Amino acid sequence: MENGTNDLIRLSVPNKPEYVSVIRLTVSGIANRMGFDIEEIEDIKVAISEACTNAITHGFCQQENNFNVDFLSGKEKLTIKVYDNGKGCLSQNIKTPDLTELKEGGLGIFIIKSIMDDVEILSNDGKGTIIKMTKYVGDDI
Amino acid sequence: MGIYKERGKIMSLVINKRYDESNKVWDVELIGEVDIYTATDLKSEFTKMLDEKKESIKLNAEKLEYIDSTGLGVLIGVLKKLKEGEKDIIILNIRPSIKKLLHITGLDKIFVIEG
Repeated sequence: MENGTNDLIRLSVPNKPEYVSVIRLTVSGIANRMGFDIEEIEDIKVAISEACTNAITHGFCQQENNFNVDFLSGKEKLTIKVYDNGKGCLSQNIKTPDLTELKEGGLGIFIIKSIMDDVEILSNDGKGTIIKMTKYVGDDI
Repeated sequence: MGIYKERGKIMSLVINKRYDESNKVWDVELIGEVDIYTATDLKSEFTKMLDEKKESIKLNAEKLEYIDSTGLGVLIGVLKKLKEGEKDIIILNIRPSIKKLLHITGLDKIFVIEG
């Protein structure tokens, strides 16, 4: 991998629980290729599952929809973004994303923050939430 | 990722349970993954078990490959009910990655971890 080159892998995933395990497999493949060790890969799998679980259960639009997962793979770090597409819902029953609930978290967010090196939870223009998390390769201090 | 087939259908999670009459404890084996997809099945099984006998649960986690907060939430809920009768959840043969998760969350202090 060249210095300064970041590869972007982008997934659009149905809002369905059965796909979270598929996302875990994807991140395993990407993280393994980047040189993360088994323990780190297991950690990343949990963190990404927690973020996807949040996207599915607190998803902006509860209807049939997709959410997005971006993997930005660089020489020194892997950054993962989990977000929904922010397209409005046709139905009137729009569930307003409760950022407070997400920020204060539940166990899921706490786990993400414990596992990943950098974590940001951001509002997507009021149309959903972005969970952005980064893990650095080779944490030998 | 292990994929288990039962009656021709791919199972992400298999739950084997047996009530041990002599020790008055539930012997449960979890095979596969507990996440948002399978956590509700886990919860139903535990509910059935507790409705039948509210006794301690020995969870053999040797073949439990993955668990996250969805599964941990189920276990916490079950433990709350068990604690009412001074019973416990005992987790055996746990994998290092899952042991680490229990430690991060402090849950290694509320579940009994053996082996």
